[in-house]
Amino acid sequence: MFDFQIVTNWFDELLRGCMPEFWVLTIEFVLVGVILLTLYALIALALIYGERKICAFFQCRLGPNRVGTWGVLQPIADMFKILLKEIISINHIDKVLFYTAPFIVIASSFLAFGALPFGKGMQVLDFNIGIFYILAVSSLGIVGILMAGWASNNKFSMIGAMRSGAQLISYELSAGISLLTVVALAGTMQLCEIVEAQADGWFIFKGHIPAIIAFIIYLIAGHAETNRGPFDLPEAESELTAGYHTEYSGIQFGFFYLSEYLNMFIIAGIATTMFLGGWMPFHISGWDGFNAIMDYIPSVIWFFGKVTLLIFLSLWVRWTFPRLRIDQLLHLEWKYLLPINMVNLVVMAIIVVYGWHF
Amino acid sequence: MEKIKELISNKLPNAIIEEGKYLTITATKEDFRTLAEIVRQNDVLCFDYLAHICGVDKDGKLGVVYFLSSSADMSKNIVLHTSTDDREHPELFTVSDLWDTANINEREIYDFFGIRFINHPDMRRFFLSKEWKGFPLRKDYADENPLSLESVEIDDHLSRLTFENNEVIEAEEKVFEDEDYVVNIGPQHPATHGVLHYRVSLDGEIIKKVDPHCGYIHRGIEKLSEGLAYPQILHFTDRLDYLSSHINRHALCMCIEKAGEIEVPLRAEYIRMIMDELTRIASHLLGWSCMCMDMGALTAFIYGMRDREKILDIFEENCGGRLITNYNVIGGVMQDIRQDFQKQVSEYIKYQREKLKEYHAIYTGNVIARGRMEGVGIFSKEQAISFGVTGPAGRASGFHCDIRKVAPYSLYDKVKFNEVLRTEGDTFARYIVRLDEIEESLNIIEQLIDGIPDGDFRNKPKPIIKLPAGEYFQRVETARGEFGVYLVSDGEKTPSRLHFRSPSMTLVSAMDTISRGEKIADFIAIGGSMDYVVPDIDR
Amino acid sequence: MSSFTTYFTSLFKGIKSLLTGMKVTIKEFFTPKVTECYPENRHTTLHVPERFRGELIMIHNEQNEHSCSACGLCQMNCPNGTIKIESEIIETEDGKKKKVLKNYFYDLGSCTFCNVCVMNCPQGAIKFENTFENAVFRREILVKKLNHEGSKMKEKKVAEQKPTNTNKE
Repeated sequence: MFDFQIVTNWFDELLRGCMPEFWVLTIEFVLVGVILLTLYALIALALIYGERKICAFFQCRLGPNRVGTWGVLQPIADMFKILLKEIISINHIDKVLFYTAPFIVIASSFLAFGALPFGKGMQVLDFNIGIFYILAVSSLGIVGILMAGWASNNKFSMIGAMRSGAQLISYELSAGISLLTVVALAGTMQLCEIVEAQADGWFIFKGHIPAIIAFIIYLIAGHAETNRGPFDLPEAESELTAGYHTEYSGIQFGFFYLSEYLNMFIIAGIATTMFLGGWMPFHISGWDGFNAIMDYIPSVIWFFGKVTLLIFLSLWVRWTFPRLRIDQLLHLEWKYLLPINMVNLVVMAIIVVYGWHF
Repeated sequence: MEKIKELISNKLPNAIIEEGKYLTITATKEDFRTLAEIVRQNDVLCFDYLAHICGVDKDGKLGVVYFLSSSADMSKNIVLHTSTDDREHPELFTVSDLWDTANINEREIYDFFGIRFINHPDMRRFFLSKEWKGFPLRKDYADENPLSLESVEIDDHLSRLTFENNEVIEAEEKVFEDEDYVVNIGPQHPATHGVLHYRVSLDGEIIKKVDPHCGYIHRGIEKLSEGLAYPQILHFTDRLDYLSSHINRHALCMCIEKAGEIEVPLRAEYIRMIMDELTRIASHLLGWSCMCMDMGALTAFIYGMRDREKILDIFEENCGGRLITNYNVIGGVMQDIRQDFQKQVSEYIKYQREKLKEYHAIYTGNVIARGRMEGVGIFSKEQAISFGVTGPAGRASGFHCDIRKVAPYSLYDKVKFNEVLRTEGDTFARYIVRLDEIEESLNIIEQLIDGIPDGDFRNKPKPIIKLPAGEYFQRVETARGEFGVYLVSDGEKTPSRLHFRSPSMTLVSAMDTISRGEKIADFIAIGGSMDYVVPDIDR
Repeated sequence: MSSFTTYFTSLFKGIKSLLTGMKVTIKEFFTPKVTECYPENRHTTLHVPERFRGELIMIHNEQNEHSCSACGLCQMNCPNGTIKIESEIIETEDGKKKKVLKNYFYDLGSCTFCNVCVMNCPQGAIKFENTFENAVFRREILVKKLNHEGSKMKEKKVAEQKPTNTNKE
């Protein structure tokens, strides 16, 4: 299996050979930042296209098919449209909060995005509390949403932001605890170690029932955190017109839009890393021939393949169910997900202590 | 009915009682209140359902006509008349405490005729703005309202007239308190299905009060009709409730045909009825899909629209129009059906039965949808009758109000079908009644489709149609409830007054009562389950 | 205990209902799509029924003759004032005065497609055609002159032989 670290190490040594360490680090930081930003934008475009096409197929339509073959250039056209749109300035708003809100939202999703292990050796940040860090930064986005809702001086936005706050606080619990279940199984919070630990079988198989339950709960809670249907109460198009971003236009709205799609990717990425072995190929212990064949497929493809699968699942759910009402949303979390999750964590702890997992 | 007559003549010897097709009672302004109370509250036959209430400007008098039915036996009807000579300050007594539906209708009458109702709780104009000069439906109205592009404030003060010591006292109140958190649902809102404007005051997510504000697309069809000949008026009816266009037009055609004693060939009746039922299915499909969309299930919405398309294709082939079918004419239908019509419809019936199962699988059974619909927005039978809420919404509350059953027109007494009745009165009941009615409509079409008799599809009436002087009522069941036509003729080729009873208006008037105490998300779902069409309210 | 079981039965029932919904959508995911690719299908699969009322036209035969006698019934019967007829009186060869059509103006922009004009035409001279691509950029273009340039009224005999159009009975 190709280790991307070979490339990065070679590049590092190349630079070190011809300039002082300060410049080496600066160049590497800038390079990594640019690559990540590009990737961020490209993934967003791909997701927008994918969502529109998949949603259309669920709805017996063809979806975008005018710009380019099969409409593949549609998201690029959309991007240009959103960039060219006028940013409408609104009276009676809290200007500072209003204009910083989209940046906070996008920054939080970008920070979480950067920490994902995309492939073997392809990880920007790898420190010992990796998963904790991701959970922490990805929930920062809610601050942006609350700011947007408050600063817009719009009643719809206000209701949307409040709903979003209630929703995120609730579902963050479930997401955290279900990830904790895996951490209990892996015994570490470092992402690369978690992935390495799944070399002989993904955690969803290793931890059998509690891991599967945790996986499903994480998908639900994660889906809810992305504010996408059926949990799109903060936007709730038919109730609150557009919820917290009602008053935003142009690229400011584009930021919200972008971060929404990327959050979907991040949630799928975390679920992949924690439950489906991240970039780790599908291995069955004992079948060495089979494992060797699996190893030929590059790790990046494994990672993105699994993420795509989970994103498809999330789109499938999104385009099937009606929106929950705020009380149903809280019921689901506090009456079902949280108790099940807690019991599940205890069960997992027992399993780990007695070594009943594979 | 005889007993009612006796009762009235005993209590009110001055009232003029006429017997024609309907028992018609005319009372003076002073006597009318007593008359209304007798009719509403008696032991013999209590007329608790106020179908029509409309203003008339006739012989220099401003009057109001009430068309009442009894919910116990909807075929028993009574017509009440009252009027006033005073054109400067016309005032009559309200009946809005007896029938809730009168509330919003009396506001409409005030708007168009300037008749103010004493003791009415909310005497604001309904469609027009406060600044509007004159009352358009009066015969002596001269338009002196230039087209204004100024923004107009919504009238937030309601005046209440009370009658004390033979004197009318006017008091002003505010619709909303200053500290109310008022949210505008509309006029441009994804869930109002048109330019309807609700102002909703909220307490957190809970609704405290709803104030509908209509008139954004009022086209004055009733006024326009007064200057046009009967065949010319017909095309307006398609544009009232555009989803029941065919049924509306059927109502007006039938009213004119009955008044002018024009025979309709049997073949035309068959075609009309099949088209009516297809319209109903199309409308219910749209109602179902829009309700799903309001609740966030966009996929279900597209499925409904996809299947509705099949009906629209059939319309397009045969009528030449998809939404505005323009098919009924006085004396029959405009064109004969095409040869493959029967085949197309039979295929469609089979297809739609299959798809109904899919709807139930994707939405009816869904635990989220169930949770959002069951036990939400409960509307009792008594309220439904009093508010005049008919159609699927009324039947969901147990109001036996299907005009096809209670006062059969066309061939509805010849076909077998069930009136879908439920007793829960919640959003889910309104939802499921609509889907069950699609099934019933399919059954009706199935009974008719193979038996279309040969013959003419139209009896051509005289080129100029003049109706004998008098007043005529015709009621039909559209997809939203009872649609009524009230026509006053002077014997001319144009009507002297034409009023349409709009089912959607009563649905909207009930929104405040239904949704108080529910959440804002429920308000949208209730609105979807009521399935009102805005041009039908605004007319 | 009973509340305990209802807790779990409601949970599983809920999950089952959600899965049924997902089964429906995934089935639709693989069924053929219903979208019509207009304008690509303009000359292939696009089907506009012949009865569709797109715009009013005046029927002309190969000799550039119409059968409108400028009687004005359509103009009178139009509820929206969509039709304007300009006629002139000319003297025919045998010395009789005759009213002939000069211009027949039809405003597509204010037409409600109610078909009353066609039904009232005693000559069957006009009909609705199923052309539907009527969008233009300026409102004035929508006012159309229906009689062709240089056209004249058909001779009586020919008009009687010609079958009247299907809309009229």
